[in-house]
Amino acid sequence: MLAFLLKQTLKNEVLDLDTRELLMHLSKLENGLDRYSFTELNTNEANRLKKSFESFKNGLEEKVFGMPTPEPVEVSLKNKKVKSKPLEDHSMIAKVSHEIRTPLNGIVGFIDLLKETELSPKQQELIKALDTASGNLTDIINELLEFSKLASGHETFENVPFNLKNLITEVAFLCETLITDSQVELSVHLDKNLPEQLLGDPSKLSQILLNLLGNAVKFVEKGKISLEAVLKSDQQNRVYVEFLVADTGIGIANDKLQRIFESYKQAEDDTQLKYGGSGLGLSIVKELVDRMDGLIAVKSALGAGSTFKVTLPFEKTKKQDIALPKRPGKSVPRSLKHAKILVFEDNVLNQQLMENRLKSWGCKPFITDNGLYGLQLLENHEFDLVLMDLRMPKMNGFQITECIRQNRHDHIRTVPIIALTADFSIADKEYCKRIGITDYILKPYNADELQRTMQELIAEREKQSEREISQINIGQASALINLNLLYEECMGEKDTLTELIQLFKKNMYEFIGNVRMHLTNNDSRGIGFAVHKIKSSLKMLEATTLAQICSKLTEASDAAAYEALEKYYKQFLNEYPKVEEAIDIELNKL
Amino acid sequence: MKPKNLLLAEDDPMLASLLKFRLEKEGYTVTLMPDGKAVKECLTTTLPDAIISDVMMPYFSGIELVDYLRNELNSKIPIILISTASNEENIINALKMGANDFLAKPISPTELLIRVNREIERQQIS
Repeated sequence: MLAFLLKQTLKNEVLDLDTRELLMHLSKLENGLDRYSFTELNTNEANRLKKSFESFKNGLEEKVFGMPTPEPVEVSLKNKKVKSKPLEDHSMIAKVSHEIRTPLNGIVGFIDLLKETELSPKQQELIKALDTASGNLTDIINELLEFSKLASGHETFENVPFNLKNLITEVAFLCETLITDSQVELSVHLDKNLPEQLLGDPSKLSQILLNLLGNAVKFVEKGKISLEAVLKSDQQNRVYVEFLVADTGIGIANDKLQRIFESYKQAEDDTQLKYGGSGLGLSIVKELVDRMDGLIAVKSALGAGSTFKVTLPFEKTKKQDIALPKRPGKSVPRSLKHAKILVFEDNVLNQQLMENRLKSWGCKPFITDNGLYGLQLLENHEFDLVLMDLRMPKMNGFQITECIRQNRHDHIRTVPIIALTADFSIADKEYCKRIGITDYILKPYNADELQRTMQELIAEREKQSEREISQINIGQASALINLNLLYEECMGEKDTLTELIQLFKKNMYEFIGNVRMHLTNNDSRGIGFAVHKIKSSLKMLEATTLAQICSKLTEASDAAAYEALEKYYKQFLNEYPKVEEAIDIELNKL
Repeated sequence: MKPKNLLLAEDDPMLASLLKFRLEKEGYTVTLMPDGKAVKECLTTTLPDAIISDVMMPYFSGIELVDYLRNELNSKIPIILISTASNEENIINALKMGANDFLAKPISPTELLIRVNREIERQQIS
């Protein structure tokens, strides 16, 4: 159905190859879904998956039918030689790809969540197929989007200071993760004369290098890939850096080399079939290099590998521009293992990089470029930390941060947020604080710095929450409870007070038993009721610590956040015996 | 004078006992009810002189109780609700429906006594 729709409406000469590619992946997705056994699937998840697809479909229909076409559709179908208006075309493609990408990311996200559930081997296999197909589709749409943005001139280029060595290290790290075959080797060489800091657009440079390296990885089955950066010329306030990406792959025949940078062309028509990809990679690189006033050249022969040479100008930085904030070297190597990290990031390369990094540290990353989806994730999972790209489509990082800081749930409102940005204006602690950002890391970031910052913030938060609960414990019994109020209400009759205290204890035991039962039944509402029932008693005894835990339980039960419920229930279990002891001590004093 | 009978519906046993204790000190006869449903059943046989009820109770809420009392039984006996302060909308509904008074938790037993006395006195005058 989807495939048919696309075939009917997106038939457009410019899009043809990519349309076919899109169609292929869509029908793969469709097939995978057809074969998927939904009966074995949790209804909730199945619904989400279905919803995701629905919105993908609807979004597409809307875009395709609702978009303004330069000429009536009938004419363009009859008349094969419609002149396309390149600029409009490109922005249209950009718009459509963007609209497709959003629900697609949803699909990818839900597939990830599905993978975490218990699946039969058959289901795992099918999920893997879905995963691969949607991954490919995402790549293609991203390339298409990237290219059209560039070609339509919508893309803006930054001019910010960055650390070239860090950037190359990151790029190499990501390239390593793309190499799945141990017969392929990557070597990196950096010219010692290169300045440490440069002014330019680091994310565009990464994109160029990653595209070239990605190509190399694709075409080398066995052999070497090398990345080299050389200082070509050093002038007054400008340097020219030459980047060489060489591989020992299949190479490109001479006659095909001419058109290698043309859009939508791959060397051979069957290249696409064998190696995949939209064929836009090199066009993007060419476009990027042109816009950065650089040069690109290629040298290759069939069977003898290829070498791409990119020369780019960068401005030099004045030393004081880069006073990177040095942190006190607190080297408390606390493991980040099992830390749940939510990442807001829209650049696919950065997404992948971040995911690999976080996983290599043992974290559990959840990555999205969709603000609302991310906020939803925050409601359903308890995250230890948020990494926030400030510049994102639709909802930007500032807006998302604002939403998080205004959340009614404590554990969401207080989650540490690290901003990832290339923008130096963030380097103002006061400003960060005002907008609710806990800390920041400048892009391209140094992995050690990121790890350290994450460790510090997570450790600090843990200490904080322990402190919150135990702060009052340190004191004597009188700090845990206060019987005076209740004693007064009993008109000084100790027998009545003793009787009430007995009832209180019984009530607490019942509460503990009830909550345990509700937790087993996943009944968060039941927990809400149970907490409500004991609240007044806790207030009357001024059992502040228990009351505090209870208000957390109420919050968590409103959000049906079971992990949080478990956590606070355990705290309650820990805390209650101390309170009971305190009550007995105080009662004896009266 | 014959002691006045009160029905008290509150699902927190400690609070319920405390209120009972204080109301009895004041000279009332108090029957404790664990939830709204029990109150409803009790009302089919005898009507007390006043009802004091928590709003949030399992099976049959305090609001439903007001509705039942005023619209099904057509009774004018005083009913005082106890509720968490956050239930403002519910309270307004309950008062519109004919509840006489309400107290926000955490409640002061002394305050409850004053309000119960007042309602009983009004009842006697009319």
